[in-house]
Amino acid sequence: MLDLTNANADLWREITGSCGDIRHCFNCSTCVAGCPAAEGNPPLFIRDLVRKVLLGLEESLLEDETPWLCVTCSACEEMCPMGVHPFEVCLAIRRWQTRNDDTYIPAAVAEIFETGHTQPLDNVREKRRAVGLEEVPPTIARYPELLEKFRDMLRDTDLVKNNEYMFKG
Amino acid sequence: MRYGLFLGCNVPAVRPDVERAIRLTMPRLGAELADLEGSVCCPAFGAFPSADETASLAVSAWNFSLAEEKGVELVTQCGSCYSSLRTARKRLLEDAEIREAVDRLLAKAGRVFRGTVVVRHMIDVLYNDIGPERIRGTLDFPLDGMKAVVQYPCHTLFPSEVVGFDTPAGRPHMLRDLVEALGAEVQTYSRELQCCGGAGGFVKGSYAGASEFAFKKLRAMGSETEAELIVVSCITCLEHLDRMQGELGKKGGEGGCPIPVFDYNQVLALCMGFDPAEVASISIMPRDGLIARIRRA
Ligand code: SF4
Ligand code: SF4
Repeated sequence: MLDLTNANADLWREITGSCGDIRHCFNCSTCVAGCPAAEGNPPLFIRDLVRKVLLGLEESLLEDETPWLCVTCSACEEMCPMGVHPFEVCLAIRRWQTRNDDTYIPAAVAEIFETGHTQPLDNVREKRRAVGLEEVPPTIARYPELLEKFRDMLRDTDLVKNNEYMFKG
Repeated sequence: MRYGLFLGCNVPAVRPDVERAIRLTMPRLGAELADLEGSVCCPAFGAFPSADETASLAVSAWNFSLAEEKGVELVTQCGSCYSSLRTARKRLLEDAEIREAVDRLLAKAGRVFRGTVVVRHMIDVLYNDIGPERIRGTLDFPLDGMKAVVQYPCHTLFPSEVVGFDTPAGRPHMLRDLVEALGAEVQTYSRELQCCGGAGGFVKGSYAGASEFAFKKLRAMGSETEAELIVVSCITCLEHLDRMQGELGKKGGEGGCPIPVFDYNQVLALCMGFDPAEVASISIMPRDGLIARIRRA
């Protein structure tokens, strides 16, 4: 028997504010059948994650890393017959994990804060010139003054305010 | 026709030859490209959307404001950028509370989101604004007699309500028609509508599972078709299928014969006669033989 003594019956309200109504999930597994990451090891079973949220299994959900395997293909989002929006649930679970355990915060957010991008552009100058392009693309990489404004904007977000140690520059 | 070219992070940094191909081919088709100066990461689903929704939407709105300011529709080749931006736009227009929070953040940076932005994918623009007919008329080296397969970018299919432009959503045809407009015969295979598996955290979190997933698709292409090239229209499909084919090649016999992968605008550029050293110079699987055949060299 599943022990629900420590379950948080309000967990679904906390996590899925912006998703579909996950109470309509009837465990049909359509979201698993079409999911590339269900072939992973460990597999991502989005159906099981929805169940954990509904049952309020906080501890188990907090240490479950499978939401981060998602390919973001949205096949589940399209196919779910009950309008649960499983992909949105997946992202919402990640955000909840991130709020409750800062080790979940993806390194990419700090990179974007620092440079505006997730890919370094320093070592690609030569290659860009070789194909007839300007060495630095006309993105924020070329406009340091805009990058400053962009960072100022992000400094006002909860994520940056609550985790200042991660965001330098 | 004038569009704001949204480059994203990967194309300009990892495959600048694709950026070059886009910049050369689109104007020849009458589509003028404006730069979105100061654009940032879309943001990628694995970044801000996985950490803080308001921050995430502020980053998207930053990008929207650049296109709105220029009065151009935003066009991108990257599937993830496309889907992330489409999803964010919808959210911002539907949720007044979060919109207000985002407006406040943007105001700090001296930017405004009006809500007029239109986000398009490259396939949508090529098919619906330009059209296969017009494309056919610009080719010096059509792919006559060649056989190809296509890989549809998952982010342009689902959720169809948010990102869709092809019909019917579950049975897309536009990329196929665009490749046929180049003169090639496009063949079908059993895992055609599966995603490439290269996006998000799958590759990083479960490398063996992600590679096997891609191998199945590549084996289906190899054993069920006579394709000489794979045509995609998404930087992740391009990089991932190319890389996975290299891996499959290392495994020897069971791999079937490796098929070179191209972005659509790259093949288009080759057919238009542009210099391969500029428009198709970066790949893991060798493409020289095929490029020479396209150019009748
Ligand atoms: S497809 Fe929808 S209803 Fe079916 S198990 Fe998945 S989330 Fe639940
Ligand atoms: S969006 Fe994520 S959870 Fe949904 S089917 Fe794709 S990989 Fe699986």
